[in-house]
Amino acid sequence: MPKLWKPGDAYVWISGLALMVTLVMIGGLLFLIATKGLGSMWPADIGRYALADGSSYLGQLQGRELVRGAHGVKSESEFRVKLKIGNRDLYGLDFKWIDEADIASIDYPRDAVILERHEWGNYHGFLKEIRKNGQIIPGGDPQAFSVLKDLVRDANKIHAKILKIEKGEIGDINYGIEKQRLKLRGLSMRGEDDPAKEAKYRLKIEKYEARYKISEAELEQLYAELNRNEVVMSSAGGDEKVMPLGKIVMAFRPNDMGFAQKAGFYVERFWGFIADEPREANTEGGIFPAIFGTVLMVLIMSIVVMPFGVIAALYLREYAKQGLMVRIVRICVNNLAGVPSIVFGVFGVGFFLYGIGGIIDSVFFKEALPNPTFGTGGILWASLTLALLTVPVVIVATEEGLASVPRNIREGSLALGATKFETTWKVVIPSALPAILTGLILAIARATGEVAPLMITGVVKLAPDLPIDGHFPFLHLERKFMHLGFHIYDLGFQSPNAEAAKPMVFMTAFLLILIVVILNITAIIIRNRLRKKYATSAV
Amino acid sequence: MKYLSVKSSFALFAIVCVLAFGQVAGAQTVKVDPGIPSYTKVTGVSGNINSVGSDTMNNLMTFWCEGFAKFYPNVKCQIEGKGSSTAPPALIEATSQFGPMSRMMKSKEVDAFEKVTGYKPTAIPTSIDALAVYVNKDNPIRCLSIKQVDAIFSKNRKCGGGGDIGTWGAAGLAGDWNGKPISVYGRNSASGTYGYFKKKALCKGDYKDTVKEQPGSSAVVQGITEDLQGIGYSGIGYKTSGVKAIELAKTVEKGCFGPSLDNVVGKKYPLGRYLFLYINKKPNEALDPLRLEFLKYVLSKQGQEIVIKDGYLPLPAAKVSELRALVGAS
Repeated sequence: MPKLWKPGDAYVWISGLALMVTLVMIGGLLFLIATKGLGSMWPADIGRYALADGSSYLGQLQGRELVRGAHGVKSESEFRVKLKIGNRDLYGLDFKWIDEADIASIDYPRDAVILERHEWGNYHGFLKEIRKNGQIIPGGDPQAFSVLKDLVRDANKIHAKILKIEKGEIGDINYGIEKQRLKLRGLSMRGEDDPAKEAKYRLKIEKYEARYKISEAELEQLYAELNRNEVVMSSAGGDEKVMPLGKIVMAFRPNDMGFAQKAGFYVERFWGFIADEPREANTEGGIFPAIFGTVLMVLIMSIVVMPFGVIAALYLREYAKQGLMVRIVRICVNNLAGVPSIVFGVFGVGFFLYGIGGIIDSVFFKEALPNPTFGTGGILWASLTLALLTVPVVIVATEEGLASVPRNIREGSLALGATKFETTWKVVIPSALPAILTGLILAIARATGEVAPLMITGVVKLAPDLPIDGHFPFLHLERKFMHLGFHIYDLGFQSPNAEAAKPMVFMTAFLLILIVVILNITAIIIRNRLRKKYATSAV
Repeated sequence: MKYLSVKSSFALFAIVCVLAFGQVAGAQTVKVDPGIPSYTKVTGVSGNINSVGSDTMNNLMTFWCEGFAKFYPNVKCQIEGKGSSTAPPALIEATSQFGPMSRMMKSKEVDAFEKVTGYKPTAIPTSIDALAVYVNKDNPIRCLSIKQVDAIFSKNRKCGGGGDIGTWGAAGLAGDWNGKPISVYGRNSASGTYGYFKKKALCKGDYKDTVKEQPGSSAVVQGITEDLQGIGYSGIGYKTSGVKAIELAKTVEKGCFGPSLDNVVGKKYPLGRYLFLYINKKPNEALDPLRLEFLKYVLSKQGQEIVIKDGYLPLPAAKVSELRALVGAS
């Protein structure tokens, strides 16, 4: 009888199957995250739910499930719906479950407005009137909504101006004052009695303060401008609310928007999510600082981990006498790769923060104590901790790469009179570069997803300043930073408004995956170019 | 509303609750005491605010900082909230200026602080939290006594309740609920909420081994949202539409009270607590302007409005003026 299977075929099939399962799982995960996250930003229609008891709510449908009776038994035909009703200041919660049996009628008024606000979440209601420069425009006016939109746009421009002054001019002033203050403190701490110097510093501070007064007056004027115009809204239940326009981020009427309009609005919102700063204890607004922090941390880590990893591997493979000692070191390196990340975190806290950071503070930043500068978590310490965590990966990958460089190439180089160092530097390393970069790719992938060690070495829920800004030395390594992974944890497990934060969790997870992919693809492209470049020379 | 049937020992008690007290008051009914002064801006405030401590107060601190920075655009805040137990070491190491804690410092922690600085830390109550016991929104239970709560959460029942309560039937529910096991959620041990609940609701007894420890207050609420048989505790600020905060009774005779401001201030609700800010203040020495102004802001109308926004309860005016005197803000 002929054999149906070639020997070993079954194993090929099993491997193929395993691969398929993995791919399906990855695809499923991405699909889940993408639908839950991306879908949440779509401006869904807003319905007016009039209940049998006379109350009514304007809400967006969020879910539907079977009613559960008093005895815990699921009903078979009765449903209830979950609505996002907004108006947290009015109702206390943004979400509400309503039994369908209690609903008298549902309609979708075209003039129902959703206001996204700087505080208290969204407002759902109807436009009652606009108070613009002392003039009252009634909500029934056909132009009223476009007037409102223009006013909101103006208010956003003022907000942008305020932000510019706060971050730019006032940021500079603060930075200057703090520096002079520390110099003064340094004088008194050293016991130096130098009235001339002291007077100089004080004068500088006064100058800064005078500048601050000017900016402050400017700010006050802008804030007054923000609060000059007001909008009066009425909720579905008829409660009126007066809001200054400065409190509104955007206004839209989802029921009055076509598909194209909605799509445009969606893109705008998505961009806002990526590029804006978070608001309301991170439950609203964007996540730009977290994206920035994640990328910068990975870059700093890569800069640190590459030389160390490569040098260590070079020594182990090229220079060290292969013997028991080297074998022990190699085993240790491999084991290091398996140490739980939190252990590295604890080491980072003890060694970097309290150890090195404490020393740096007591030597260079004495004036600032007891406020720690480097003696507390910061982006440098977090990056270094992650560098320690990923260095075994780089060492192992580099060693593999070095081992695969053919012996005859080295011998050729040596035969032509090159020294050992020249051979290593000019011949071996270039040929091993693709493998080294593979190590880096693995390191990046591991580091980007790591959260536990970061939580104790410098990631915070809200860091007001990015680690890079316009003040010398531009890169502020001591600053704390925000991180996408921690952001997910924070939104998911610590946010007070868990329901409102849920879509943000999925969006953030989606972006984190996207960033890992982008970082990896960049590294892969570089590696492939190098491979092509050295493929010819290696043969 | 849903029909509720109860076991005999529970019957009288439940009827009292239903008759005497309505639903738990929503957050929107709470207003800041008009006697609390409004915050006014001063000059010369700048620098960094570092805060390390309670997870319960994490958002509160963030809100306060956002609000404070509106007055002083030159102030920056860095806030970490991994649990109240992280506050004292950070204050001692001087890695933070504020230590938000959802419980009082233990004497051990105070001693450790005193050993380094030579004086005791200063505690400033900033707001009131009612620790709520949450159940799934579909759970018909209305009220539990502390003894019952103890019997649900604790394995050694130091509050003196009878037997262990492991099913919703034993907690007084009938019908389908009778045989359903109770699934218990709690916080991790670094949390001040964990410690407070252990002290007040468990009479310092031990938690059952089956308690599912969660890394955050919000995680407890989310767990119960998904779990029909779930029960757990968290600050009232974490309430969502998926859960119900039940009423509690100190003893069966005293009746049930929901976690509203009046009940907490009137000491009728058994699990009310202050949320503290700990600071390192040298005795007889004024605070630096940054910390002083921040505390003044917290103890102002605006600061207390933020407390309401985050779902907690504001301080009464008398307490506020007392505290303002304590920190040196006349």
